[in-house]
Amino acid sequence: MLALVHNCTGLGDTSGAGWTHSARRWSMISNMRFFTVLPTTILFTVVTALAQDAGATRADWPHYGGSPYSWRYSALDQINTSNVKSLTPAWIFQTGDYAENLQATPIVVDGVMYLITAQAHVFALDAATGREIWNYRYPAVPRSIPGFIGNRGVAVGDGKVFFGTKDNYMVALEQRTGRLVWKVNIDDARQCGCNVTAAPMVVKDKVIVGGTGGDGAHRGYITAFNTRTGRLAWRWYVVPGPGEKGNETWKGDSWRFGGGSPWLTGSYDPALNLLYWGTGNAAADFYDTERVVAGADKSKDVNLYTASVVALDPDTGKLRWHYQEVPDDVWDYDSSYEVLLMDREIRGRMRQALVHMNKSGLTAVLDRTTGEYLGSFSVPEVRTWIAGVTEDGKLVGRNEPAMGKTVSICPSAAGAKSWNSTAYSPRTGFLYVPVNEMCNDITPNNHPADEGKNYMNGDFPFKLPAGRTTFSHVDAWDPVTGKRAWSMPYKYVLLASVLTTAGDLVFTGNPEGDFFALDAKSGNKLWSYQTGAGHRGSAVSYSVNGRQYVATPTGWHSTVVGALAQSLFPDQDWRLGSTLVVFALPGGSR
Amino acid sequence: MSIPLKWMTAAIAAAVSCQAQNVANVVTQGEAVFSKTCATGYCHGVRGGSSGAPRLAARGFGQAYIDKIVRNGVPDTGMASFTTRLSPPDLVAVIAYVATLNGIASPDVSMDGVPNAVSTRPTLTGEAARGARLFSEAVRGFGRCSTCHEVGGFGIPVAAPIAKVPASVAELMVLTTPDVKTASMDGESMPALVLSQRKQSVVFYDLTSAPPVQRNAEPASVKFTDGSNWRHSAVIAYAPSELAAILDYLRAVTKP
Repeated sequence: MLALVHNCTGLGDTSGAGWTHSARRWSMISNMRFFTVLPTTILFTVVTALAQDAGATRADWPHYGGSPYSWRYSALDQINTSNVKSLTPAWIFQTGDYAENLQATPIVVDGVMYLITAQAHVFALDAATGREIWNYRYPAVPRSIPGFIGNRGVAVGDGKVFFGTKDNYMVALEQRTGRLVWKVNIDDARQCGCNVTAAPMVVKDKVIVGGTGGDGAHRGYITAFNTRTGRLAWRWYVVPGPGEKGNETWKGDSWRFGGGSPWLTGSYDPALNLLYWGTGNAAADFYDTERVVAGADKSKDVNLYTASVVALDPDTGKLRWHYQEVPDDVWDYDSSYEVLLMDREIRGRMRQALVHMNKSGLTAVLDRTTGEYLGSFSVPEVRTWIAGVTEDGKLVGRNEPAMGKTVSICPSAAGAKSWNSTAYSPRTGFLYVPVNEMCNDITPNNHPADEGKNYMNGDFPFKLPAGRTTFSHVDAWDPVTGKRAWSMPYKYVLLASVLTTAGDLVFTGNPEGDFFALDAKSGNKLWSYQTGAGHRGSAVSYSVNGRQYVATPTGWHSTVVGALAQSLFPDQDWRLGSTLVVFALPGGSR
Repeated sequence: MSIPLKWMTAAIAAAVSCQAQNVANVVTQGEAVFSKTCATGYCHGVRGGSSGAPRLAARGFGQAYIDKIVRNGVPDTGMASFTTRLSPPDLVAVIAYVATLNGIASPDVSMDGVPNAVSTRPTLTGEAARGARLFSEAVRGFGRCSTCHEVGGFGIPVAAPIAKVPASVAELMVLTTPDVKTASMDGESMPALVLSQRKQSVVFYDLTSAPPVQRNAEPASVKFTDGSNWRHSAVIAYAPSELAAILDYLRAVTKP
C-alpha cells in the first residue's frame, strides 16, 4: 500500500517532507501513545531511562559521533537556554593549513583535544587553553595522487591517534607525544582512485575505516587493522564477489567496479557487539544498464550491499544483517551517513532501534538487532525522486534518469543533507537535521568503466527549486512519529554538523560564518556569534576542570559541495579558513 | 615555370581548409576527453558549466593559462596535474577544447613541447599483457604483487625496484633477500625489512602478513638479527601459469 506521504506531516506542506511509512496507522498510534496520552515529562523520563548513558558524552568527546552511538549529544548542561546568551570565545586556534577548510570533529580525551586539518596536520592541544602540546605533519601528498583534499577527524584509542590520508594510508601516532608509531597502505590510490577522508573508529583492539571511490570504477570496502601492530584484521567488501551471497544482484562482472564505498564513520553497540555502517551508491551512479539485469524487481534488493545500512561483527568483519535503503540507486543517493543507535518505544514496544538517513533525506528506523524495518520519514520539502514509500518501506513511483533524457531530480546528489551529521537529544527525543533544498538535472551517459576513474556516468548540474526564498532549514524530527516538531529556515545552504546538549541547546553554523544556538524544544534562536569564516565542520562540547566548552571548526569548504552550493548563490563570498573557535561562559557567570 | 594562379589558390585553400579541419577534429577529440575526464563528478560540468569545481566556460582564459593549469594542476585544491594522466594528444586536445569554451576559435593544436610521459609505457601483448593485469589485479585484495612492488607507476614501493627478474617461477617462489631480517619487539619476532636505523628511531616494514606495516620504533625497543623465515611464497597467491605471465610482464618492462 502506498503511504499518503504528502499529507502525513500535519505541517500543511504538500511537497514531500514527512512521514513516509506505515502511514496513518503507526503515526496515529504513536501520536496517541506519546503525545496525547502521556504528558511530555513522562515521555522524556521513559526515553531517557534506557540509553541516555550509552549515547551521551560528558567531560570527554571520545568519538567522531560523540559516543559510539553517534548522537552528537553532550550531557553537560552548564551552558543552557537561560545563560547561552553570555557565551563568549575562550580561545581560538589557527591551524595554518588553509588548503581547504576545517571539517574535522575534534576529539577530546582527559583535557586534551586532538584535531586534524585537511592536509593531515595533527595537533594535540590543551583543551582548556588551546596551548599546543604536540603537532605532527603528514608529508605532503604528490599532486599526481587523485582525490579531494579533506579530513573529517581522528580516532583515539589504545594510546594512539589514528587517521586516514589522501594517499590512502592508515596512520597511528603515539597519543602522548605525536610520534609516528605505524602506517599501512590501505589500497593503491593511483589505481583505485580511492582514499580516506572519514574519521576512523576504534572498536576494542581494532581501528576500522571506510574509504572513498564509490563514484569511480572501484569496489568499496571497510577495513580493520590491529591497533597495536597495524596488521590487517579484516576487510569487508560492500560488493560481494562471485560465490558470495548478494553477488547474484549484479549483472555480469559489474560487481568488480560496483562502487558502494562507505566513505564515512560507523557506530558500535558494545552490548550487541555489532558494528553499524552506511554504504555508498552503486556505480555507475546514473546509468544502471551495465549493473542491473533488465527487468529486475526493484522492490527487492538490487546491487547489494550498496546504498544500505549493514551490521557487521567487529571481530571478524562478517555481515550479520543488511537493510538496503535505495535498491538500484540511480540518483547518487549514498547511504553512507551516520547511524544513530537509540532505544525507543515504538508501537507500544521498547525497541533497540537505529535511525539512518541517506542522501535523499529518507530516514529509516530499524530494529538494530535484526535490521527489521520499523518505519521511515523523509526530510526535504521538495522531492521528485519518488512518489512515496509503502508500509513495508518499498519505494514507489521511482523517477529514474534515462538515456537520451534529462530528468529534474530533487533532492540533488549533494543530498537533502550532506555528510555533516545530525544530532539526537534523549531529553527531547528529537533528531536535529540540517536540510538543504537543492535539485539537479540528470542526463545519463554510458562511458565504459575505467578502473579508479570517475564512473558517475551522467551530467547533473545543480539548481535551486523554483518558488522558494529559503533553501535550507534546521529541523527537529521525532523518529518515532516521523513528525517534524519545528523548523528554522535559512536563506542559503547548511553544511555543518549539529551538536545538541543537555542544556537543551542545538548548535550549528552557516556559510556566512554565524555559529548559533537554538532552543532544542522550540527552535528559537537564542545566541549567534560571527566567527569570521563559513561553517563546514562539526562542533563538539566537553569540559575541563568543571568548565563546559563548545568548540567549532570554521572555514568554508571550497571543493565539491561547498563550491557547488556557492555557485548557486553567485553574489555570496563565503570565506575559507581553518580555525577552531572555542566558547565558554565567562568565568564569573557559571 | 610558373604555376597557374588558380592552382596555387586552390592549394592554399586546401591547406587552410585541411588545417581548419584538423583543429576541428582535435577540438572534437578534446570535447570527448573533457566529457570523460573533466566534466565528470563534482567537477567542471558539461561544457565547462561547473558541477562543483570552478566554471571554465566564458572566463576569458588564454590558451597559455589553460595549458599551465591543466599540466601543473592547482596546489592545495582538487585540481590535479594531468600531464601523466592523459596521453599527449589527449592533453593537447582538451586544452584546445577549453580554449574554444573561452572564445578562442582556432586554438594552437601543435604537439610542440608536449611531454611524452605516458607514451613511454610499452605496448604489451599476449602473456605479458595478462601478467600486467595480474600484477595489480584489484580483486586479489592484498594478495597481489603491487601490494609491495611499484612497477609502471602502480603499486606500493615497499620493496626496492625490481632490478633482476627471476629466471623461472621456481626461482621466484624461493626468492629470499638478505635485506629481510628478524625483528624482536613487544615480545614477538617478525620478518622485517629495515628502512633506516637512526639514533632516535628505527623504521622497518613488518612483513608478517600483507599488507606490510611500516613500524617506527625507539631503538632500544627493537632488536634485529640477520636472516629470517620469510619467503616470497608466503605473500603471493597466484597459480604457476599466472606467475609465468607476470615474469613475462616484468621482462617486458625492465628491458633496456
